[in-house]
Amino acid sequence: MAEVKTRDFVSASDAAMRDASLRRALRQVGGGFNEARLEAIEEVSWETWEEWREVARRTKIHALENLDYYLEMLHDRVTAAGGHVHFARDAAQANAIVAEIARSRSVKIATKSKSMVSEELDLNHTLDANGVEVYETDLGEYIIQLAGETPSHLVAPALHKTKEQVSELFHQKLGVPLTDDIEEMARVARQVLREKFLSADLGISGANFLVAETGTLVIITNEGNGRLCTSAPRIHIGITGMEKVIPSLQDLAVFLRLLPRSATGQRLTSYVSMVTGPRRNDDEDGPEEFHLVLVDNGRSRLLADPELREALYCIRCGACLNICPVYGKIGGHAYGWVYPGPIGAIVSPTLVGLKEAKDLPHASSLCGACREVCPIRINIPRMLLHLRHRLAESPLETENATTTGERQAAQAYSWLMSNPAALSAAAKVGRLAQKPFVSGGKVSKRVPLPLVSRWTGGRDLPAMPRQTFREIWAQGLESEAEIRE
Amino acid sequence: MVEKQNAISLGVPKDDFLGHVRRSLGRDQPLETAPVHLPLTENFADLEVRAKAATERLETIRGELVDRFEETARVRNWNVFRTSSVEESIGYMADLAGRLGISKAARADQPVFAELAVDSALQNTGIELFVAAHDESTSDLRVRQQIIESGLGITGADYAVAETGSVVVLPRKGLSRLVSLVPPVHLAIVRAKDLVESIDDVFLFRRLEYLHKGGDMGSYLNFITGPSRTADIEMKLVVGVHGPREVHLVLLA
Repeated sequence: MAEVKTRDFVSASDAAMRDASLRRALRQVGGGFNEARLEAIEEVSWETWEEWREVARRTKIHALENLDYYLEMLHDRVTAAGGHVHFARDAAQANAIVAEIARSRSVKIATKSKSMVSEELDLNHTLDANGVEVYETDLGEYIIQLAGETPSHLVAPALHKTKEQVSELFHQKLGVPLTDDIEEMARVARQVLREKFLSADLGISGANFLVAETGTLVIITNEGNGRLCTSAPRIHIGITGMEKVIPSLQDLAVFLRLLPRSATGQRLTSYVSMVTGPRRNDDEDGPEEFHLVLVDNGRSRLLADPELREALYCIRCGACLNICPVYGKIGGHAYGWVYPGPIGAIVSPTLVGLKEAKDLPHASSLCGACREVCPIRINIPRMLLHLRHRLAESPLETENATTTGERQAAQAYSWLMSNPAALSAAAKVGRLAQKPFVSGGKVSKRVPLPLVSRWTGGRDLPAMPRQTFREIWAQGLESEAEIRE
Repeated sequence: MVEKQNAISLGVPKDDFLGHVRRSLGRDQPLETAPVHLPLTENFADLEVRAKAATERLETIRGELVDRFEETARVRNWNVFRTSSVEESIGYMADLAGRLGISKAARADQPVFAELAVDSALQNTGIELFVAAHDESTSDLRVRQQIIESGLGITGADYAVAETGSVVVLPRKGLSRLVSLVPPVHLAIVRAKDLVESIDDVFLFRRLEYLHKGGDMGSYLNFITGPSRTADIEMKLVVGVHGPREVHLVLLA
């Protein structure tokens, strides 16, 4: 499984906020994707949009409530179409399945189209270790593979890289001249990867949707690399999470309308490719073998938890990332695992362990924008609160969840607020104590106290006023000016 | 029909995996009856009725559909050439081949080319035209190599979708997966009768076909909507990264 760095959230987000080029890139995302999304929705009308969301949500609810039934149907139909279906309980198993297919069929070169699940499994590492040369072919994924990094966005994996960085990377790794022409960079990638496509034995893809009725794997792409991966090599392996199944071909239409509009504001991506089994006997071309690997890897825990099940409705459009004020400041890497942003803050803790990722549910202002933009109306803020609640209450996770300091501070606050005399005394003490830190009506210097220092290090607190409301009230509201002050 | 291979299954046995899913859902046993989901309750006769109604609906709005498709396709960056003349269609293709300055083009082997005799017109411009289909003399590799060397790939369309400006191709005998993908320029021929209103129409007709063929979907289906695109570097749009950079539609209607 991919390396888990969720424990470093605080230091990683701190570092991210100091990274000027990352901040610039993130501003572009926020603007670009969101505006395009709104335009695409307004084109069809908000009323229609809400209808689509409703239909999609109901379909997901139904599919997951009956997941065992639809997985069985999917298995039977894929098999009937001549494909092979493999089930993996966890990452190790999924990797072993792919490695075994590659080994038994003497695969030397594999090309991959974008798949977040394969990132989750760290599949490339396994293939490497088994002597298979593996090439990411989505331009963004190719860039980060060359750089030895991980995706920082669900849809645009290399958005944290500037064109100068990409040019430098291509120069070093591919020996091409430096350039500031993005088209030239795309041309280089096309040229290098074209040759790999044509020499690869194995094409690996993810899946955006799986249609149980017909045993069909659906991928939604723009570059054409997904089509090449599923067309040129002699073997195709589709690898994906078990929650991707929808019942009928007819259900697919609404998702094809929602996903591209939510992701990039496109009415439809350049390509929607639907794979049903291997090539038929009289087909001109196509893979001779089709394998589908269905991965659990912790998803059954989400399924079993009525509070969190709806996280599995996610179609990975990235809209919640693009709108999130926290993601917009820190980017994807700070979240420390494969799935960033608001939805990642729910999925990651459940897949890697809540204790391991205790900061993620707190990486949100609970403003609710993520829920508003989600094409499946997933109630992300509710689930974040639920996870916070669990962190605070669970005896198992207590030591790591809430620090003793936080606990004592909460107790002290509660005591203070129920003792008027103590509160008034504390106000007096506070007014004196804050003096060295106040300028211009704000506590603007870092206060060297545990807990308080983390807040004051990054933000200004309003200074305590000369008089509290209670003191003014006691004086009988002599002057309104004093209140304003 | 699909040739049956012995399915292999690595990893967890299916029943164990599904059992675990079932227990996660709070059930011990498989469902005794199928869950009720409207589309899956439809049988062949139901779909036939719906498909017939759809065909009639499409027939009555055919003219308007052509206009709508043309408009959407242009927005999706297809270069649309609309004409009712076979000669003009062929002329457009010959001009395109000339303008591109290519030495080789590939076309699929589909019925539409019986209507449109493009071969001699293209050959007259001095380019080599390869019909990308197998016979006894061509191997897989040769077909592939010829397509790779082609500067232009020409296909028909199985459907053209007014809602999205998409051309749908169903690779099969006579239609390689690579003709519309590997050459840097793709030209698709769309006739009025290929037009449907929405992606729902496509899926309705495919479902009918699926049941008609005893449960075979065909191995591949592609919606193609404009040129290959990427915005992976600094969100700047670049066309033609892995697929065609330039796409043309001859709308013969």
